[in-house]
Amino acid sequence: MASDVKLDRVSKSFGAFKAVDDVSLRVPAGSFVALLGPSGAGKSTVLRMIGGFELADTGSIHIGGRDVTDLPPYKRDVNTVFQSYALFPHMTVAENVAFGLRQDGVPREERRSRVRAVLEMVQLIDYAQRGPAQLSGGQQQRVALARALVKRPSVLLLDEPLAALDRKLRQQMQVELKLLQHDLGITFIFVTHDQEEALAMSDTIAVMRDGRVDQVGTPTELYDRPRTAFVAGFIGSQNFLAGRVESVGRLVADNGVIVEAANTRDVAAGSKGLAAVRPEYVALTAREPAGAGNKAEGRVVAVVMLGDALEYVLRLDNGDEIFARLARNAPERPQEGERVWARWAREHAALFPYEAVAARVQAIARPRPEGKSE
Amino acid sequence: MSRRRMPRWSPAAPALLWWGFFFVVPVAWIALYSLGQKPPPGGGAVTLDVLSGANYVAVTSELFLRVFWVTLRTAALGTLACVLVGFPVAYALARYVPERWRPGLLFLLVLPYWTSFLLRAFAWRIILAPEGALSDTLRALGLLSAPLSLLDSNAAVQLGIIYNYLPLTILPIFVALDRIDPALGRAAMDLGAGPVRTFLAVTLPLAAPGIAGGVLLTFILAAGDYVVPAILGGAKGLMVGNLVATQILASQNLPAGAAMAVVLIGLLGLAVLGAQAAVLLTRGALRLARGPAL
Repeated sequence: MASDVKLDRVSKSFGAFKAVDDVSLRVPAGSFVALLGPSGAGKSTVLRMIGGFELADTGSIHIGGRDVTDLPPYKRDVNTVFQSYALFPHMTVAENVAFGLRQDGVPREERRSRVRAVLEMVQLIDYAQRGPAQLSGGQQQRVALARALVKRPSVLLLDEPLAALDRKLRQQMQVELKLLQHDLGITFIFVTHDQEEALAMSDTIAVMRDGRVDQVGTPTELYDRPRTAFVAGFIGSQNFLAGRVESVGRLVADNGVIVEAANTRDVAAGSKGLAAVRPEYVALTAREPAGAGNKAEGRVVAVVMLGDALEYVLRLDNGDEIFARLARNAPERPQEGERVWARWAREHAALFPYEAVAARVQAIARPRPEGKSE
Repeated sequence: MSRRRMPRWSPAAPALLWWGFFFVVPVAWIALYSLGQKPPPGGGAVTLDVLSGANYVAVTSELFLRVFWVTLRTAALGTLACVLVGFPVAYALARYVPERWRPGLLFLLVLPYWTSFLLRAFAWRIILAPEGALSDTLRALGLLSAPLSLLDSNAAVQLGIIYNYLPLTILPIFVALDRIDPALGRAAMDLGAGPVRTFLAVTLPLAAPGIAGGVLLTFILAAGDYVVPAILGGAKGLMVGNLVATQILASQNLPAGAAMAVVLIGLLGLAVLGAQAAVLLTRGALRLARGPAL
C-alpha cells in the first residue's frame, strides 16, 4: 500500500547554516518524485528528515496521514536505499535482506519465502550466500534495494541511488527502477543532482536550491515552462542573454541582440532581465533573417558531435557564445569557420528576472564531467 | 632470459629472523632450562646433564598453584574491567568527539606511557596510602570510617593493572569502531532496529576484532606483570612474575623459575584458546537460534 508524504513548512539548520528553509511539499501516494538540485541544495536533508535520520527544527511531516515529525527511523513505515548502500559487511546477502524482517518478528517460514521472492525479483538468488564485498557495485545496489523492498514499505526513499554506478548501468537501472515502481505501486522519493536521471525516472520533480524548493512540476512542465532562470538552466541546456527589459516580452541584451519572447514572467519594463533560448530551438542560416529581433550573427567556432545531434558553438563579435543543437539531417549545416545567423522563434524564447546564477548555469549547459553528489 | 623468482615468503624474512632470534630461541632456551638441575649451593651453572620434570612437580605444588590462579584471575578481572571502562571511552571517541579533537585526546590517552612505569606505580602508593589523598577524601565524605587499607593487597594490584593497561584496551577498540561506516547504524534503524538491537546486531559484531585484540593485549601483558604486584601488592599480592623473579634472583633456582614461566605460557595459551572457543560456540548458538536467512 502506497502512502502520501506531506511536508509543511519544514526547516532545518546545522549551526548557522540553513540546510532546509521553509519547505512545503506534497507527494501523492504511488508517485515517483525526484528531489533535484546542485550540491548543498538541501535535498538530501529533506530525504533524511522523511526517513527520520534528521529531525526538523520547525514544521511537520506526515506519512500516510500520520504525523511522524518526531518519530525515530525504526518507527516509520519508510525504507531507504542509501547512497553508499550501507550493506552489513558481516552478513551474507540473504542475512542482509532478512535483517529488517527479523526486527519485525516475521515468522521464520514467511521470512524465508519473502527473502527468496525479493532476491529472485532483483535476480540475486544465486548470490544469496555471498558477502557484500564479493559483489559488484550494481549487485550491491540491488541488494540494498531488495533489503528495503522486502519490508514492503509504503514509501521508498532513494538517496542518489545510482550515483556510484557507471553510465551504462545507470541508464539501465533508471528504466528498471521506473518499471519496479510502476509494478509495486508504492511511493518513491529519490534524491539526485543529475537532471537527466530526474527527467527519465520521475512523474514529478521538485527542483531545490539553497534549502528552498524553486519549482515543482512534471518533467515536461519544468522543461517547457520553468519558473525561474535557475530551473531553466538546471534542467536541460540553455542559452542565456542578460540585458534590459524594454517592454513586456522584449529584452535588449548587453551585446545588442534583441529578444522577443512569448514566455514572460512578470519582469517589469526597465528592469534587468535574462532571456533564455534552448539550443535545440536555435536554427542556423547563411542569410540574415527578416525582422529586428531573435537573431544574432557570429562565426561557427566548434561543432560537437553528440551522437544523435550536432552542437554548434557560435561566437558573436563581442565574444559571447550561442549554442545551437541541430539534427544531423538539418537542412542547413554550416562548416566550422563560416559566418552564419542564429535565429529562433518568439514562442521558444523566455524572459526571467535577472539573477547571478546565470553564469553558472551557462557552464552547466556545456557537456560537463560526471559529478559526485553533495 | 631466465629469471629466478624469489620465494613468496622472502619479504617476511627479516620479521621471521627477528621472531626466531628474539622469541623462539629464548623460549626454547627457557623450556630447556626448566628441565635442568639447580646449581649446587655456593654457586655454579645450571646443569643440563640429566633432564627431568622434577621442577614441574615442585612449581605445581598447592602454594604455587594458588599464585597461578590469583595471577590469571587478576589478569582476567583486570581485562574485563578494562573492556567495560574502555569500550564506552572508545565509543565516545569514535562516535561523539569531533574529528579535530581526536588526535589530542588520543595523545592524552598514551601520554602516561611517556613517564616511567615504575614512577607511576609508586605514585599509586601515595594515592592509596592509609593517610593518603583518596583515604582522606572518602573519610571526609563519610564513605569510610577507618583509614583505607588497600595497599599491599591483591585489590591494589587489581587497581594498578586496570590503570596501567586501560589505554592498551581502548586503542584497538577505538580503531575498530572508527572503521565502522556510520551509515550502517542508520541502515539498521531504517530497517526497524532500535538503538539496542542496532548496537548488538551491527556495532558489536563489527567491533569484535578490535575488542578481541584489546582483550588479548591486556590479558597477556597483565598476567605477566611484575612491577605492579611488586610495588603495590606486598606479600599478599604476589603474582607469577614475582615468583619467577624470586626463584631466579633470590633462590638462585633458574630451572624452577623457568618451569614457572613455561607453565604460565601454557596456561595463557589455554585461556586464550578457551575464550576463542567460547566466542565461537556463542556465535554458533546465536546463529542456530536465528535460523537460516533463506
